[in-house]
Amino acid sequence: MITLTIDNQPVEVDQGQTILTAAKAAGVEVPTLCHHPAVPPAGACRICVVEITGGGQGGLVPACAYPAQEGLEIETRSERVMRSRKMTLQLLLARSGGAKVIQDLAAEYGAKVMPFEKLDDDCIMCGLCVRVCQQIIGPEAVGFAGRGMQREVCTPYKEKSEVCLGCGACAYLCPTGAIDPADYCTHPLEGIPNEFNCGIDSRTPIHLPFPQAVPNKPVIDRDNCIKFLTDGCGACKTVCPAGAIDYDMTDEYVQEKIGAIIVATGYELLDPSIYEEYGYGKYPDVVTSLEFERMVSASGPSNGELTRPSNGKPPKTIVFLQCIGSRREVDGKPYCSKICCMYTAKHAILYKHKVHDGQAFVFYMDVRSGGKNYEQFVRRVATEHQATYLRGRVSKIFPQGGKLIVRGADTLSAGQVEIAAEMVVLAPAMLPAEGVTALAQKLRIGYDEHSFLLEAHPKLRPVETNTAGVFLAGACHSPKDIPESVAQASAAASKALGLVCHTSLLREPTIGVIDEASCNGCFECEPVCAYGAIGPKELRGHDNTVTAVVATINEGLCQGCGACSVTCRSKSIEVQGYRDDQLYAEINAISR
Amino acid sequence: MIESVEKLVKVRASAQTSFYPEKVKISVGVGTCGLANGAGDILASIKDEISRLGLDVTVRGTGCVGFCEMEPIVDVLMPGLPHVFYHHMTSEKARELVQSLAEGKVRPDLALMRMDEDQLFSRIDRPLTGGLKGLDDVPTAEQVPFYRSQVKIASCNCGFIDPHDINEYIATGGYSSLAKVVTEMTPEAVIDEVERAGLRGRGGGGFPTGKKWRICRSQPGQEKYVFCNGDEGDPGAFMDRCIMEGDPHSVLEGMAIGAYAIGAARGYIYVRGEYPLAVSNLNIALEQARSLGLLGEDILGSGFNFDVGIIRGAGAFVCGEETGMMASVMGHIGTPRQRPPYPAEAGLWEKPTNINNVETWANVPVIIDRGADWFAGVGTEGSKGTKVFSLVGKVRNTGLVEVPMGTTLREIVYDIGGGILKKRRFKAVQTGGPSGGCIPESLLDLPVDFDKLQEVGAMMGSGGLIVMDERTCMVDVAKYFLHFLVDESCGKCVACREGVFQMYKILERIVAGDGRAGDIDLLQELCSYVKDTSLCQLGGTAANPVLSTIRYFRDEYEAHIERKKCPAGVCRALVTFSIDEDNCKGCGVCIKSCPSDAITGEKKQPHRITPDKCVACGVCYEDCPFDAILAE
Repeated sequence: MITLTIDNQPVEVDQGQTILTAAKAAGVEVPTLCHHPAVPPAGACRICVVEITGGGQGGLVPACAYPAQEGLEIETRSERVMRSRKMTLQLLLARSGGAKVIQDLAAEYGAKVMPFEKLDDDCIMCGLCVRVCQQIIGPEAVGFAGRGMQREVCTPYKEKSEVCLGCGACAYLCPTGAIDPADYCTHPLEGIPNEFNCGIDSRTPIHLPFPQAVPNKPVIDRDNCIKFLTDGCGACKTVCPAGAIDYDMTDEYVQEKIGAIIVATGYELLDPSIYEEYGYGKYPDVVTSLEFERMVSASGPSNGELTRPSNGKPPKTIVFLQCIGSRREVDGKPYCSKICCMYTAKHAILYKHKVHDGQAFVFYMDVRSGGKNYEQFVRRVATEHQATYLRGRVSKIFPQGGKLIVRGADTLSAGQVEIAAEMVVLAPAMLPAEGVTALAQKLRIGYDEHSFLLEAHPKLRPVETNTAGVFLAGACHSPKDIPESVAQASAAASKALGLVCHTSLLREPTIGVIDEASCNGCFECEPVCAYGAIGPKELRGHDNTVTAVVATINEGLCQGCGACSVTCRSKSIEVQGYRDDQLYAEINAISR
Repeated sequence: MIESVEKLVKVRASAQTSFYPEKVKISVGVGTCGLANGAGDILASIKDEISRLGLDVTVRGTGCVGFCEMEPIVDVLMPGLPHVFYHHMTSEKARELVQSLAEGKVRPDLALMRMDEDQLFSRIDRPLTGGLKGLDDVPTAEQVPFYRSQVKIASCNCGFIDPHDINEYIATGGYSSLAKVVTEMTPEAVIDEVERAGLRGRGGGGFPTGKKWRICRSQPGQEKYVFCNGDEGDPGAFMDRCIMEGDPHSVLEGMAIGAYAIGAARGYIYVRGEYPLAVSNLNIALEQARSLGLLGEDILGSGFNFDVGIIRGAGAFVCGEETGMMASVMGHIGTPRQRPPYPAEAGLWEKPTNINNVETWANVPVIIDRGADWFAGVGTEGSKGTKVFSLVGKVRNTGLVEVPMGTTLREIVYDIGGGILKKRRFKAVQTGGPSGGCIPESLLDLPVDFDKLQEVGAMMGSGGLIVMDERTCMVDVAKYFLHFLVDESCGKCVACREGVFQMYKILERIVAGDGRAGDIDLLQELCSYVKDTSLCQLGGTAANPVLSTIRYFRDEYEAHIERKKCPAGVCRALVTFSIDEDNCKGCGVCIKSCPSDAITGEKKQPHRITPDKCVACGVCYEDCPFDAILAE
């Protein structure tokens, strides 16, 4: 450890640390421009100069690049330091006066516009882009050319770079926003679409999957992380103060013995681009309801500011189209997606909150507002928020004069309407989550022709499945809104708890039993069991050697259907309470 | 191959025999300065004339003896007689000279001087056995003002030996210091000796060399490097070039001694790309030293290994800064980095590295040879030994001069330099190149050493001395040096890149007549900022030309800004030329030299300048033999 004094305050830091690190440890603020903790220091911008007043060769030194040394006495805001920083900023004002970071620092240090030669160059030559590209990421796509005032950041021979990965680290670190890899990269750059925001904006390889994620910790997206792609970078590990970054962590299989399973795989939306008449994917101002949801969300990509994707201006006219793919027998889904009526009503209200002078239209087939206070809510949309509800379907959307013409039928007035909309929001049909059928097969539970999971009984056992111990919650079962999903989930949880809160499982005894003496281990019973209750069992002799492998029935899973019993050739399986001898005894008793 | 010290002694003895042959030996100074003055042709003419006459004469090229003003210089040595230096040679004069020599005659009429004692220019001496033989009237070197107060240590051998022949270096005592060091002295003893001699770095900083070596030696690790900084980039400085061209072995020997003391086995010489002759002479020297085993493995049977590589710079002034130089050597852009760590701790490839300048290295063999006490006897209290200066500018005797530390500027400018050209008034002397400052007439009696120069706001730098006369505009001089620095700043740090650029722009507007009230204060503010805040010494000293000219010539700045006048008549926007009719003799020189046909007049009648046509170039002002052109 090294002890030094910063602004009369003793600080201890490890050998090899800089004065800047020591200042941070002491809670002393030192301004920086060309510094980033993950990038080797350069000492180029000179804004971080501090004065050594004792314990070494005196003078101004850059805190970011000067090693902390035993006994150094540092002043970070001496008159000499402040004078130097002020002049640095005055010179940078002359060079890059338009950069906000420079203006802010200039205001802080009282730097004025001096009678200097003005240059209109946002690049302050801090070199962070060059250092990160060369020393951290590795492709060396950009470097310095020229000397003195001719120095510039560019690619070799100023030709578009083929080695640029398009990682954007340069732009990310640039304090003045002067660099854009799109200017020098040969291949088109695509940000990593932010999945949670429906790809409206992009995210970094390290990201929080969504706000309030559980656990609320960032994850590394290995498919896009430079460390995993090229073994470069590793900046996160350098800067993480908790030392939490571990590149060697891998996914692992976890095996647990559990007593119950609740399936809550949720839903996804139908891709409305299959219906060409709506122009989704073709016209940027046609969005889905989920995209609209993110657009108006305060934690969304635009911080809740609603703008047209095509031109960034607020949409003065908006049209909501319901039943996109729902209740559509021929080329869609025959069922009602159930939630669209209510969320569209909500969206119409949110729209009016964002665009006070805007007009919303809603094309609907029927407004299904069955639920507590739902009908009143929808009415309010039409009355208080002046949304115009049009009963009918839209036949075509096409652009005209910067707007989208929505042509549809208004069946109530028996005429055709055309609305010049600035934005169109589609309410696509709700589908079960992709891959749910594979899961259902693993769990041996049923699903319908739309892949929604089947309950054991629509009225009496709406939460259970036919497989004991497997329960359903939410939209995996059928389209549901939030209150219904919560109610079902609570029920499923109660059911599951009812199972696992006992030390032993209590159940009807009418289940299959195997006569191990006669079972010949053919296992023809195994595939016929719909509940996966039959498995092998080893029989052992006195010396513990396996003498035979016979079928065995999991008593918790068996529903007593008897399918195995009729399959068994050796008549080794019988259902308890319905054994042959019992049935014969009953028959005998009747016929006596 | 010289495997042992005994063998070296034998080789030296035989080398000396051929160094002083029993026949006429003609040496032509073919350093860059000589070649620029036509020495190549002269060498060819002499060889041609000798073969035409069928004479048995040794002819060879040497480096520069320092008196550039007198180039081309030819040195003739006849057995037993003193060296005779002939100056301003032409091919015709050279042929004539050879013809006279063929008849056994010397030519006092063409001679510049004779040298009775070879020790003046080298470490070797020999008795004169042949008398003076008609050379009585030729002044001796001690009588020539240019050489009178010079003491040659670093530049000894320059112009005296053939740099292409290692035997000549050995003959004059070369490599005996290395032999002494590797066989008789411990590394610590070598460092002690250098430290006791008080040698300070000649590159400009003046850091004690022995101390530097000791720091590097004390660093942990087996792999260390020694480095020779030959990236001499100051405008008007050429000391290191002359040494590398004229006496490359002294640098190699010095480095080998340093490497032994520090514990390095590898050295590099970084030579600026504009010095092709230095590179080629160094390469020849390296090859010869290697072939004799004076570089390489097991030098002189001592077990000490050392070799040197040559790296050519690519024209960046900032690569003369040690960290910039190392970056360049390692293949990066030559930009300096923050120190510490100093090169002695983490230099080339993060290994301890000792960097000294060419002249410093060249001093080392002499110190070992003659002893620390002898060396410390030369110079001043704080600055021991000598300093080589390149004396240029408006002075009569331009050239390379080596004087003991503490010699006054007046001696250098007036005695050695012979005063100002055209008998004009002295105005200032600029020392240390772009990092140095301008010293005014009032400080002419300043004894020149590291500390004294620093006190007056200049610096030793690598040793350029540019003499300026009354017709030099000090604002323009400051602008010139800043222009150089704006061009040569690496551009890494804001202070140097932006600060010096804005200073230059202010000076540019001052000389254009657009100077504003407050500009001097702003310049001074910028100066102190750039000095304080820059990353390396290029920026750290960039303010010196401005600060020293403001300090000593503030009135000139004020004249430019307030009265819009350039007192020296240099700044074109601020000067109008007219002809003093009383002084004009009507010679017509100005009419011929005027590029814009602005001057008219009959022969022997006073001439006139047409103001509309005059572009204020100042050529007439410079050329008029009667000083009849007036500048206002």
